[in-house]
Amino acid sequence: MPDGAPAGEVVLEARGITKRFPGVLALDGVDLDVRAGEVQAILGQNGAGKTTLMNILFGLVHPDEGQLVLHGRPVVFRSPHDALAAGIGMVHQTRRLVAAHTVVENVILGHPRARGVLDLRQARRELEAYCARYGLAIDLGAKVWQLSEGEKQWVEILKALYGGARILILDEPTSALTPPEVKALLDVLRAMVAQQGLTVLLVTHKLPIVMAISHRVTVLRAGRVVARLPTAAATEAMLVQHMIGQEVAVPAADAPAAAGPPVLDVDHLAAYNDKNLWALRGVSFALHAGEILGVAGVTGNGQEELAQVLAGLRPAASGTVRLQGRDITAASPLERWRLGIGYIPAERTTVASIATFSLVENTAMNFHFDPAYVRRGLFDYAGLEALTARILATYRVQAPGPRVQAQHLSGGNLQKLILGRVLARAPRVLIAHLPTQGLDVEAAAFVRRKLLEARAGGAAVLLISEDLDEILSLCDRVAAMYEGRFVAILPREAASAEAVGAMMAGVRPEAVGLL
Amino acid sequence: MRVGRHVLVLERRPTRPAAHAVVTAVLAIALALAGSSVLFLSSEAGVFAAYRAIFGYAFVNPRGFVATVHRAIYLLLCTVAFVVPLRAGLWNIGLPGQVYAGALAAFAVPFALGAEAPPSVSSALVVALMAAAAAAAGAAVGGTVGLLRARFQVNEILVTMMLNSILFWLVANFIKEGGPFMSATAEGESFTLPVALRALLVLDVPLTAAVALAAAVLLDLFFARTAAGYRVRAFGENPAAARYAGVYPVRLTVLVFVVGGALAGLAGYHYFGAVPGLYKIPGNYGFYGDLAFYGIICALIARGSSLGAVPIALLFAGLSLGARFAQGALRLPFGVDYAMLGLLMMTFVGSHVLYHYRVAWRPAPLPVAPAPSPRWP
Repeated sequence: MPDGAPAGEVVLEARGITKRFPGVLALDGVDLDVRAGEVQAILGQNGAGKTTLMNILFGLVHPDEGQLVLHGRPVVFRSPHDALAAGIGMVHQTRRLVAAHTVVENVILGHPRARGVLDLRQARRELEAYCARYGLAIDLGAKVWQLSEGEKQWVEILKALYGGARILILDEPTSALTPPEVKALLDVLRAMVAQQGLTVLLVTHKLPIVMAISHRVTVLRAGRVVARLPTAAATEAMLVQHMIGQEVAVPAADAPAAAGPPVLDVDHLAAYNDKNLWALRGVSFALHAGEILGVAGVTGNGQEELAQVLAGLRPAASGTVRLQGRDITAASPLERWRLGIGYIPAERTTVASIATFSLVENTAMNFHFDPAYVRRGLFDYAGLEALTARILATYRVQAPGPRVQAQHLSGGNLQKLILGRVLARAPRVLIAHLPTQGLDVEAAAFVRRKLLEARAGGAAVLLISEDLDEILSLCDRVAAMYEGRFVAILPREAASAEAVGAMMAGVRPEAVGLL
Repeated sequence: MRVGRHVLVLERRPTRPAAHAVVTAVLAIALALAGSSVLFLSSEAGVFAAYRAIFGYAFVNPRGFVATVHRAIYLLLCTVAFVVPLRAGLWNIGLPGQVYAGALAAFAVPFALGAEAPPSVSSALVVALMAAAAAAAGAAVGGTVGLLRARFQVNEILVTMMLNSILFWLVANFIKEGGPFMSATAEGESFTLPVALRALLVLDVPLTAAVALAAAVLLDLFFARTAAGYRVRAFGENPAAARYAGVYPVRLTVLVFVVGGALAGLAGYHYFGAVPGLYKIPGNYGFYGDLAFYGIICALIARGSSLGAVPIALLFAGLSLGARFAQGALRLPFGVDYAMLGLLMMTFVGSHVLYHYRVAWRPAPLPVAPAPSPRWP
């Protein structure tokens, strides 16, 4: 853990920042001070206002009230351009790079030196020297599409620093990184802060990251600052308490359920991915009523394609899928909804919801074919609105009301709505793909509890997740996917973290003596 | 713009009440009319006389007003023909081709039955058949586009534009001298419909008006209240989400183009087969095809609302006729009608900015302090 806050002067201040979005008070009189050469973590749950606050500091969003003070002088950032000119850079949660260009070209894009004639060679020399100094191994001549997520993030950080940023805002920088990449990121950031006097504002809801690198931590909850303390004086438990205002019990499955009858039979299922390469190479399993079967695996081993084939959104190249004995391999998504297969896709905002539609209309995505809500082709909007209001209440979705547009909901609240909507159909089979990805502690625990409730209610649940702890705590049986196949399916008792970890790397557990 | 310690800024409106849409539309019309005054400055008649002539002919003169209504019905049918695919996120840009197909099919009915209405068949039945044939032909052309789009991902804008050309020359082939539909006088236009086959007129307005108005009212209701309309909107907003929700993309794409094409076909029947004074495919049928593009403009200005497009269609129809009349009556410069419509289009597009944004005085930002020079590398 780093030592206490360095006694740098205050370089950037936010005073009494308030920001309202339609129906939502995103920030309510927030004060923040940032000192030179410190790493300050901004901690909070989804929807706490972290990203809004950072967007205000970066000039992307304008506060309704309050003031920014830079080096003791009030400033107004009309756009990110002003913020960059003032030495503030931001790396967003989603990448904003030109995939077809090289690293150097991306870094220099928008740089004052990139006007007129480009001197890519000089830029490259400077960047090389910089990377060498901090031990960054990035091929500067590589095209961005060839890079891993972690490398892309470095390109964005380099871009901000090369553009003259002295204060660097990182929004959830570790969300797409593998553990070794996270460690490398923290190491290099530490070196930059120590040697170069860089100031970092780190937005996250991951406590280990906060504890590992920050000097001070500011906790936001529901648009207010609820705590600010030196990291050295904080414990993880204390921070969780501040973040959520109460203790969260980690849900876990009780004793393995007595296996019900098989509901879904998958036999030698094969399918192509979007590039017409084999993604599924013969997956077979039976999913029983009242159980959760976990599918662990590293991204890109066929999990997404498996979920899509089971939901009817991707054709099976061969093999069969049977629902209670009935062959549904070629059934359309609509038929599958009608037959009681519920699907929660990983893509919350692009597939599972329609941003410009109201919450009522989003609920209708799973009910537009249901005779209970459609009579003679006409929607029963009153009934749908009542249903939506019930979901909002039961699933504790924080939203101004059923008629607000889905785009005004934070990720966690949107996921709760989607989950509530799918479970309101009481599906016999539930396919949940990364259902807690990107959710804060409380929302993730809530989603997990609901999955366990569905299991208790007799649903057959297929949980595809990359969070090993989640899989081990919720599932009755655990499969690991590697290169389009299930390596093995282990009962809960045999599924240790080591065994499943080995399976995720393609090693059969008995081969390394773990079974 | 900066005045003292305040600055004029353009900022996104947090909410957009419905009344606001009307206010910005009215503002756009006023601005276009003010702008087009420039066109009349050179004329001897004076600006106000020019406006009096335009609006007087279009909306007061009994003959002029009837012509305005005929044209407005045509524009409205073209508007709804564009709106239906638009709500599914698809662009029926080349709808004039469907209009031509409708006109050809309508005239094929009396042609097939013998140009003079045979006494054995009721003339009302033949008129109904003509309208049905026009709708079916438009639907067939539209359906082809939809199928190509849905099955092979062929861009619908390109296909409809190319079909425009094909159908334009097909019409020419049918009505030219020696073509099957050629007129008795061989003037490069089609035969004239016999009196018995002219659509029933109520107050000089053919029954196609009822179809256009019913479509305008029902379409808004269809999209707002029905499950099928919901599916079309969902597909238009986010095709991937609609597929997830169980919408059949191919079926839906073909369907919206079939309906859009049928309405465009009816527009063709309306202008060439039901409007008094024409009752034939004239040699300058391409002018009416071009006019169909104003239906697209109406749909876009009304932001996809078919009912909202009614007053806009009426205005465009009136101005295009009134300006043409004033051009002759007051010896205004050639092309003022197009210039006025063009201006109107531009101010309407500009009004979208005012609809989404507002102009406000805000405290001026203080100059940004220069950053301490970065230690780089």
